Amino acid sequence: MKKILAILLVLIFMGEINAQQSPGKDHSELNINCKTCHTCDVPTKDEPCLVVCPREKIATIYQKPEQTPELIVIDQLKDRYNPVYFSHKIHAQMSIMSGGCENCHHYNTSGPILKCNNCHQSSRQREDISIPDLKGAYHRQCMDCHREWSHETGCNTCHSPINDLKESEKNDFKKQLKGKDHPPVTEPTKIVYETNFEGGKLVTFYYDDHINNFKLKCNQCHARESCTRCHDVNHISSDKLILVKEKKSLEEHHKKCFNCHKENDCAKCHLDKQLEPFNHKQRTGWALNKPHSYLSCVSCHGSKQPYKKLDNQCVSCHKGWKKENFKHSVTGLRLDKIHSELSCEDCHTGKDYSVKPGCNGCHENYVYPNQKPGRLVGK
Amino acid sequence: MSGKSRREFLKKSITAGAIATGLSSSTLKAGPLNILSPDRMGVLVDTTVCVGCRNCEWACKDAHNLHAGNLDSYEDRKILETKRRPDHTALTVVNEYPRGKYSNLPIDVKVQCMHCDHPACVSACIVGAFSKQENGSVIWDTDMCIGCRYCMAACPFQIPAFEYDKALDPLIMKCDFCFDRTKEGNLPACVNICPVEALTYGPRTELIKVARKRIKRNPDRYIDHVFGELEVGGTSWMYLASKDFKELDFPDLGKNPAPGVSESIQHGIFAYFVPPVSLYVLLGGIMWITKRRKELGTEEKI
Repeated sequence: MKKILAILLVLIFMGEINAQQSPGKDHSELNINCKTCHTCDVPTKDEPCLVVCPREKIATIYQKPEQTPELIVIDQLKDRYNPVYFSHKIHAQMSIMSGGCENCHHYNTSGPILKCNNCHQSSRQREDISIPDLKGAYHRQCMDCHREWSHETGCNTCHSPINDLKESEKNDFKKQLKGKDHPPVTEPTKIVYETNFEGGKLVTFYYDDHINNFKLKCNQCHARESCTRCHDVNHISSDKLILVKEKKSLEEHHKKCFNCHKENDCAKCHLDKQLEPFNHKQRTGWALNKPHSYLSCVSCHGSKQPYKKLDNQCVSCHKGWKKENFKHSVTGLRLDKIHSELSCEDCHTGKDYSVKPGCNGCHENYVYPNQKPGRLVGK
Repeated sequence: MSGKSRREFLKKSITAGAIATGLSSSTLKAGPLNILSPDRMGVLVDTTVCVGCRNCEWACKDAHNLHAGNLDSYEDRKILETKRRPDHTALTVVNEYPRGKYSNLPIDVKVQCMHCDHPACVSACIVGAFSKQENGSVIWDTDMCIGCRYCMAACPFQIPAFEYDKALDPLIMKCDFCFDRTKEGNLPACVNICPVEALTYGPRTELIKVARKRIKRNPDRYIDHVFGELEVGGTSWMYLASKDFKELDFPDLGKNPAPGVSESIQHGIFAYFVPPVSLYVLLGGIMWITKRRKELGTEEKI
């Protein structure tokens, strides 16, 4: 009898584990704060310490703002107020640099987008007080930003009392909100910061290097920017769109850089003159040509910072590389029959593939690329 | 200990007196109602959520038949430039503090009676008008109040206010945790109106758990301190904040219940008939001096 009970218990236990769908094997690499779902610092498989929420609908796919509904009408308080017209698309566009969809939806759902009232109860008098009620949840989403934006907290900022608007005015209002887009956020090529640091006053930051060469995404650094980061809401100038100086502590200023750069190497960024853009050839002596220029730094150097110098041997990265399975055409040059039968070192002396190949071994007065051992094919 | 034994002595003697005068002991209360129910309710004020809309101020006045005015008039944010205290015209007020050098947003803090677990006002009230109710509210009976204002002096948060401007029948005023509303199963008016639910109403034990969880999940957002969990022996209203409570004008109080202080002062003064004895000593002294003067005067005349 005891045995049957034990088996039953195990079965029930297993059933419960299966019922909790996994958010995916590599979900730790998604841009989601661990504390969104786990309550403890180190969740394990046995003790995942999960928060109470519909996790089975957790996010894995990120929708583009343009794919989302343009206008959402919130009309739960029909009897007291006119509906609130929420311009969803433009807000989604704005949220790209401030936490993305999950900034409001908490879990960016891959399936049906959950309604707020799936979790947030409409009554303030309730059993579970660990999360805000619907009214609180709604207002927290709007008011946190809007009071920073307009410094207003009055109800009438968003809710117009019923009968205040005529039907035609309502339609005008809807029209105004439709077809509006937040202009795309364009990054400058570089910014030169003037600092007070004695060892070197100028810090040059190349945006295009970080995005195109280092393959970072904007929101990897700008994850929690508020609108006031770019917009002058305090009316220092008449232009609401001027870039206002960031109010941040010294620590916070450096935090983003220290994610990748070494903390104790001040002179690397702080210089007396402007820094030149990153050049792999100048810095390392190895030109980063195609196809290697397509790669992100980590794919060769690994994710461990600071990056270590690699040698110029192909086999260091291309494990299992042999002459027999190498197609020379990937370099942009297809070898002709005679040359393809030679060994690599015959042209690439000393196995140094970063320098020009030499023809002297066989030919007199032949110079690459005037004379080619094959045909250019493009990469 | 002496205070306790004295109270017990008084209780016994009053009960004995009541029995002697023919009253049934069951109908008689030995002291003010001072219940510390395990199910008592409370409110968790999250100052990191509050947006300072002051709707709670309006709702409070509206619920207590005070002059509330139009809700729209509370949108005026100039009033937040000066620090205010709750008084007889506003039982709760919201004050604003700078969040820090690096933020445009202020911190807004609602101030009202904390509804202590060991209320000093209950213990200080000489007529027993104050009481701690089962649901956590600290309320008072205006009919019993004699206007001595001992509660005002005893309160560690300086909450009870007095209608000084009324010559006749002035009243003590403070937040009553909307006792009349909660009695009927409604939420306190301020909790009900708060648009962002910065005020969470619930069983006090549950609120502490919620507060601890919020701190644990957002260590960057909150300091690790629930004001009111332990202060003056615990309060029904508790606060979460992003910076030190001292910077938000919260008093730096120990963990010992406040009645310990007020009771020891009172009992120290009233013990061993100190006031009447000292009064008689004083009067006797004056009599002796005037008598001696008279005697000296008559001697000189002769």
